[in-house]
Amino acid sequence: MPDVVETEALSEEQFAELVDALGAQASGPAFVDGQQQLTLLLSEAHPHYNQRGAATVVRMRGWVLLSLARVGVTDDTLLYLLEELDTGVDPYLVAAAAKALRSYPKPNAALAPFVMRAINQIRYHNDPVSFESYGADALSSDATSPVRELLLTLAWLGPQARALLPELEALSGLPKKLQPEVERARQAIVDSEALDTGDCCSLPASLRSKFSWALGSRRDSQSIETTVFEDHDGATVTFKEFFQGQPSIVVFFYTRCDNPLKCSLTITKLARIQKLLDERGLADRIRTAAITYDPAFDLPHRIRGYGQNRAVRMDASHRMFRATEGLEALREHFKLGVNFIESLVNRHRLEVFILDDEGRIAASFERLHWDEQEVVDRAIEVLVERKVPDAVTSSEVAAGSTSQRRSISRTSSPVWSTLASLAVAFFPKCPICWAAYLSVLGIAGLNQIPYSPWLQPLLGVVMLINIVSVWLRGWSTGRMVGPYLVTAGLLAIIITRLSPSLNSLAVIGILMTLAGSLMSTLNADNQRRRASMKLEDSMPRVN
Amino acid sequence: MKIELQINNSAGPEARFVSWAPSPCRIRVTNPTGALMRIVSIKLTCVSSSTGGVVVFRQGATGSFSESLTLAVPINGTSVPFFVAGRFGRPSINNEDVRIEARAKLTPFGLPNTLVGSLKLMVRIRKNAESLTPGERDRLVAAFAQLNNQGAGRFADFRNMHTNTSSPQAHGAPAFLPWHRAYLLDLERELQAIDPSVALPYWRFDQAAPNLFTLDFFGVSAPNGAVQFSNTNPLQFWVTDGTPGITRVPLNNWVPTTQPGPGVITEAQTLALGNQYSVFRGMEGNPHGTAHTRWDGFIRQIGTAARDPLFFLLHCNVDRLWAKWQRQNARFDPAVAASYDSNASNPVGHNLDDTMWPWNGVTTPPRPPTAPGGAMAASPCVSAPGPQPQVKSSLDYQGSINAVSREGFDYDDVRFA
Amino acid sequence: MTTKKKATKAAKKRSSLATLSIATSQKKPAPARVAALAAAPLAATESDQNLQKVLGVLQNQDEPVEVRLAAMDSLAAAAFSVVAFESSRPDYIAALRKVSTDPNPEIRQRALSTLAGEKDGFAQKKLLEGLKNPDKALVPPEKALQLLSYDVHAEAYEVARKIVKDPPNEAAKQEGLRLLAGDAKSASMFEKLLRDKDELREVRQLSASALQALKPDKLQEHAREMLLDKSEFEDIQATSLTALKQFGDDENVSKDKALLASVDRLSTKAASSRYKKSARQFLTKFKG
Repeated sequence: MPDVVETEALSEEQFAELVDALGAQASGPAFVDGQQQLTLLLSEAHPHYNQRGAATVVRMRGWVLLSLARVGVTDDTLLYLLEELDTGVDPYLVAAAAKALRSYPKPNAALAPFVMRAINQIRYHNDPVSFESYGADALSSDATSPVRELLLTLAWLGPQARALLPELEALSGLPKKLQPEVERARQAIVDSEALDTGDCCSLPASLRSKFSWALGSRRDSQSIETTVFEDHDGATVTFKEFFQGQPSIVVFFYTRCDNPLKCSLTITKLARIQKLLDERGLADRIRTAAITYDPAFDLPHRIRGYGQNRAVRMDASHRMFRATEGLEALREHFKLGVNFIESLVNRHRLEVFILDDEGRIAASFERLHWDEQEVVDRAIEVLVERKVPDAVTSSEVAAGSTSQRRSISRTSSPVWSTLASLAVAFFPKCPICWAAYLSVLGIAGLNQIPYSPWLQPLLGVVMLINIVSVWLRGWSTGRMVGPYLVTAGLLAIIITRLSPSLNSLAVIGILMTLAGSLMSTLNADNQRRRASMKLEDSMPRVN
Repeated sequence: MKIELQINNSAGPEARFVSWAPSPCRIRVTNPTGALMRIVSIKLTCVSSSTGGVVVFRQGATGSFSESLTLAVPINGTSVPFFVAGRFGRPSINNEDVRIEARAKLTPFGLPNTLVGSLKLMVRIRKNAESLTPGERDRLVAAFAQLNNQGAGRFADFRNMHTNTSSPQAHGAPAFLPWHRAYLLDLERELQAIDPSVALPYWRFDQAAPNLFTLDFFGVSAPNGAVQFSNTNPLQFWVTDGTPGITRVPLNNWVPTTQPGPGVITEAQTLALGNQYSVFRGMEGNPHGTAHTRWDGFIRQIGTAARDPLFFLLHCNVDRLWAKWQRQNARFDPAVAASYDSNASNPVGHNLDDTMWPWNGVTTPPRPPTAPGGAMAASPCVSAPGPQPQVKSSLDYQGSINAVSREGFDYDDVRFA
Repeated sequence: MTTKKKATKAAKKRSSLATLSIATSQKKPAPARVAALAAAPLAATESDQNLQKVLGVLQNQDEPVEVRLAAMDSLAAAAFSVVAFESSRPDYIAALRKVSTDPNPEIRQRALSTLAGEKDGFAQKKLLEGLKNPDKALVPPEKALQLLSYDVHAEAYEVARKIVKDPPNEAAKQEGLRLLAGDAKSASMFEKLLRDKDELREVRQLSASALQALKPDKLQEHAREMLLDKSEFEDIQATSLTALKQFGDDENVSKDKALLASVDRLSTKAASSRYKKSARQFLTKFKG
């Protein structure tokens, strides 16, 4: 490994050397480490890309991809390659990604649509590229090109690309020079044996572009609560003021993005998300926000125009923002996949976030094209998660912690009320009795604790609160047996206080209180569960 | 007695714009006071200044036009239809510089000289940019600048409709001309929403243009290519892609104010390319492509061309040439094979019945991923081509085959019939 | 394909071949070859052979420059027909890159201009290299800055600032300023330039345009102040009028008596009839 140089100071040549060294390392015994280091270099936010121009970033990333193509691509890297095929418009990067894909251990049918999509997206911009050396200039069309590399990758996919055969055969207008590659790809698909139907047809499980965080595991948003935003009308609001209180869907963009597959499409899709929310009557319950990466340039009138031109709804709950201060904190909090040269973005990924009603990130969709319906579904899950704490939120929520919370909440209520009733029933009537109790309870050493007569009325208040809440619950559920039992139990306890000779009644009173409280709590739980099932039935199926 | 006149079958002032193609109109009596007959004879005439527009009339959907029209109009309020068109060769120069007067014969033996109603309108025509009056010119650039709104306005959609990504929708295949016709119409309607007196002019790239390339109009190119405008020209605030200014410089020692574009084939040569659309559309190369590449700067390439507003005047001339060819060869009917180049191998978006991107809102492949601008802008004067125009809707722009297809624009030197 | 269409296609092919044979024949006079290249740009897209012929002319340094330029223009015209040009594009881009280092400056400039319009990384790299190291410059600095401004992501802000601070010539300074009009950090610089009465009219006008893009509220403020300043030049006052008329807050402007009085003065006392007219139009809009 070369000596670590301050990353921002690396020249392009030094960066290339670093990548070559990592590549050499990855070819040797330290394969995993070298591979991982190379993969890390594909993150947009990596310090290496800070203060680099967009074209420089292209050269740097392309060289990393080519290095990975030489040493082999793993599941960790795959997402970056697919991202490039999915949303890339630079010929060099698309070509390098296509080449690198061929070093993935096993062709997979799930990769084929990415390859064909990339062909359609880049075909009219099929500029020659050179892989000979870092930053090599392609001065001849005999060098390679993105479409050529993609065709070679289709050939590599072979039978896994069978579903795309009609589309491949319909491709016309490509340069004559590429006809051999077209034919080769076609032959590879047609002549191959039957598909291996093992795990060939889905992307690796570890390849994740969608993430969820369970209710208890979300990072709080304290660090950015005071971040000030200016919206499309010039109105200011803090993060806390807008993003807390209701869940929200947040996208990032900037108006000078020149990749039509990224920001322009993102904001267009945001408008579609708003429409979906509106159709479900949720536009006032789930907020949407688009935040610019480029607040210095994207002034309110500019972001308003950008949004209007894409049919984005803009009102109190749906806004386009620029952060007038605290962009770095935002970047850190959201772990944004973006980097800059001065204030201008040099590269960014697709990223959508769903925040819960405390402004904490509950889910994200990264890098690959996301589906509007899916984002809306996920936001609805976040919306209902507090109303129905027992509802399953997503397949990635830790099942254990949820069920634990469930059982705790169910039993805690009657237990507390019963303890209060117990305490009232047996509260000592005099200091001597107080000392006796303490010694019985094994804390004789604490007989200096003074008799505290004020505890009795306090416990009485607690019991009263309990009985009121039980009655309220009873009225709301229509089930009154619980309240009747608790009331009877309370009366029994009061009688024992007034008439010590009827002490045995205290036990009955406590038991009735316990039974009544338990029944009341269970009835309420059942009703909430029925209500949430109704709510979920009226909404799209939640994964 | 009072009457109501409706132009384009609308009572609203926003619909009082006509071109060479006949506009359906109506007249009805709104207040019969003073009329002694159940049906009154009303004479319609045009009143205009020597420089203003002139309209002509006819009663039916066919037949010749005349300078006046006498109609028998019942006093019970029933509408009587008729048609109005601009008289070829006499377009308006200002809004409402033409007046239609209705004079009635209220008594059986009286003369038809009682003015019972009048209405101002405009014969709004796409003209040679060279012939615009200072007023027309100033209104045009002001509307353009407002549409651009320092880069934040609706013009950004038009810029984004014409990029490398979207180019296959409109270039190198048969729908090149129909698509650009729809594109210009959409832009023109947006300009008219700002100032209804504006019509898109054309740049005759096969002629010298001493008035167009001036500081007060579309600018003068500095030697290094930066286009300069006068301090009173709102185009000095033009912004596209986040960058102010326009880059445009004539190449090969060409002086556009005194010379036609070098190598650009003339109008006569263009019209002589052939009477089949499949051949005529080769004009995409020359004069169209050649006109683009007489310059260095934005207008030279597809990906940047729409950043320069001159692009729209260039294409207006391309469209005018097509319109003239259509008139010359009677090529308005999509059902006539020679009117279009239908092939099984035409890409999506280039077949007659295909809807055109971006107005169709389709963003799944092979269409581009976004559809800027939304549906086609509506017009208060006509219903065509509708929010999602098809390729074929661009052909019958005058309503020659089907009156409903009329799109509400005409060129100063292309007749209707 | 119908018989008629086949016949038409064949005729077209023959015509293209004839045109190309003139265009590529070194025995023909240059003007005839230039005319032939302009006449049928789409001929190059009809076959790979045709394309290579035209590319051959472009890349051949022994050919007359005007013929080579005509070949480049012809290909640029053909490139508009994207679908038809698809198979030609890779060779075209490669050829442009090659000739971007041609001995002839016009060839270089035109090639780099086309590549810059495509946001080609190769072209941007060459242009930046030339600005940082004049010995490697392929085009004059003002042209390099102008071409780099086609892409806001072209990492040219730093070098543009240097050139604006220490310009080799006025044109380079103005192109540097134009490029920096997309740089939010440069807003205060544009404010200074706008108010500097010693600056050239073009620079002040450019600054107004840049400030309107970067900080429109500021431009409106300055526009008003400049109109109230009787010692200010009329041309920049005219720009201020235009800015207020197009982008100002109509309500505020119509209530601003001092401003309207200044404009009134301009409408009668301005040296230029054009400025008087503009002032009168302004008053008509805001006073009625």
